[in-house]
Amino acid sequence: MSTVTVAKKDFKAARRSKLLWAAAIVLGLIAAFVGYVSGNAPGGDAEQVRALFRVLTLLLAVLLPIVALVASYLAIAGEREGGGIKFLLSLPNTRRSVFVGKLLSRNGIVAGGVAFMYVAAISVALTRHGAFPAAVVFGTLLITLVYGSTFVSIALAMSSAAASRSRAIAGAFGTYLLLVILYVFPVVSFGDIARWVHTTLLGADANPDLYNAVQYTSPYLAYRKAVNLVLPADMRQIVFYSSLPEDVSYGSPAANEVLPLYLQDEFAPVVLAFWLVVPLLIGYALFERADLE
Amino acid sequence: MPSIQTNGLTKTFGESVVAVDSLDLTIEDGEIFGFLGPNGAGKSTTINMLLDFIRPTAGSAEVFGMDAQDECAAIRERIGVLPEGYGFDDYLTGREYMEWAVETKDADDDPEQLLDLVGIREDAGRVASGYSKGMQQRLAFGMALADDPDLLILDEPSTGLDPNGIQHMRSVIRDRAADGTTVFFSSHILSEVEAVCDRVGVMNEGELVAIDSIEGLRESATGQATVELECASAPRVDGVADIPGVSAVDVADTTLTAECSDPSAKVEVVKRVDSQVEVVDILADNTSLEELFNQFTGGGRDGDGSVGEGIDLEDSQEASA
Repeated sequence: MSTVTVAKKDFKAARRSKLLWAAAIVLGLIAAFVGYVSGNAPGGDAEQVRALFRVLTLLLAVLLPIVALVASYLAIAGEREGGGIKFLLSLPNTRRSVFVGKLLSRNGIVAGGVAFMYVAAISVALTRHGAFPAAVVFGTLLITLVYGSTFVSIALAMSSAAASRSRAIAGAFGTYLLLVILYVFPVVSFGDIARWVHTTLLGADANPDLYNAVQYTSPYLAYRKAVNLVLPADMRQIVFYSSLPEDVSYGSPAANEVLPLYLQDEFAPVVLAFWLVVPLLIGYALFERADLE
Repeated sequence: MPSIQTNGLTKTFGESVVAVDSLDLTIEDGEIFGFLGPNGAGKSTTINMLLDFIRPTAGSAEVFGMDAQDECAAIRERIGVLPEGYGFDDYLTGREYMEWAVETKDADDDPEQLLDLVGIREDAGRVASGYSKGMQQRLAFGMALADDPDLLILDEPSTGLDPNGIQHMRSVIRDRAADGTTVFFSSHILSEVEAVCDRVGVMNEGELVAIDSIEGLRESATGQATVELECASAPRVDGVADIPGVSAVDVADTTLTAECSDPSAKVEVVKRVDSQVEVVDILADNTSLEELFNQFTGGGRDGDGSVGEGIDLEDSQEASA
């Protein structure tokens, strides 16, 4: 009960933030723009719309972590620095209800942003192509919401660990750098670092499966591979090329099936579930123990 | 059952800072207890431990017989708090904050009535973060009053309030106390505590240095009453210094100042001087409580830190028992 009251108040205050509305509108415009420029894919109308949503997820993969981090990094740290936590915990709320309430509300805010993008993209798809491939639309929407939630969890954990605004900002920046940039940036990506340590430092023979597995710990890659689960085989992406035998072509269903289980698309939900749950547990434990002054 | 009880409650920050040092405190049901001390004495730290904002290093705190840490949810159902260091950060109006407090407490109070009680009903439609400090304090006080709590914990409640506001808050506190609410409030202002409280505890450097009724504290004080007489011509010292209860006499030009260890000696001083020269003006200072406060707290942050001599704390506590 008090969890809901915490979430309601938090959401109410957020709804009045002009910045959030501006962000939501910008997101909607971006999605509409993507819908407008995509559309040169081969095939019929439904194919065009599938391609549109595939491009949208590519964009969301780098954009949504920023949205979720910005929307959530102050959830707890801001209340602590601003003194709002004093009221929250003077009233009949527990730290758990504050934490869970914030989690619900910030997830709601991020979901709102995603909804803006989807409404815009669906509108463009319907007007331009008149097609609505429901499986792809709702499938990617569901996976996108889960992806957004993982970064809300991570940001909330950061926010619980940080006693002040400035530390929370540093935490949010660091998270994006670590979990998105450092997985995709060539040469310094975690996969490349693992390869260097393994072959140069330890002098072992190259093992692409291992490096790909290291890459796969990223929620960013997990999201992109999870999207594959709802896309037709020829639209799939990130198939860990270096782990593929020579004779398997990238676009075939076999490209996923020949991989070890821990590199397959089906493993993506496990990675996402890890990032959804573990940061929350750590964040909650930190918040529960913290001295709130 | 006492409303508040602490046993050996201790909080240290880092290695060396002892904010609260084995505090044993019992607040009985229904009393108005003033928690007095200079800045940094450990008052807020104690309150924060009662509210489970911070966790004790050692010892325990109980509210209504429930452990402050393990049963904080049940405790919060029954208390009203005006915390220290709060902030109205969200983009919500005063009315919405009040409605939120009422809703969270599951109270049947009318938010409008509470807003009216603390005198901000007319401004309740404005965003609370734009309020002046005094208005925020009123709103926070009003939120504490929701659901008619069994215990009010007020941390420096008069901060930022104008004299009318202070006066009004006092009368509300007295009304609530008359209805059976226990009130625990901290302050560094003596007159405030004196005006409202049944019993006072004085904190200094993390320790409880005195706990007694106002009268008890006054009696235990070695504080001097002084009387200052402005005369038409220079008065003489002799004849005044012999009065029983007068400990020191000083004459500067036409002003005679007598310090009396017995306050009742002041009258005799005036009579005696008046029989010699014409007295133009009389200034009597009976508030030994200020001095008492300074004695207990060694002048607080501004003193030399040595706790004044001449007060036997053990005696003063026994006297009240």
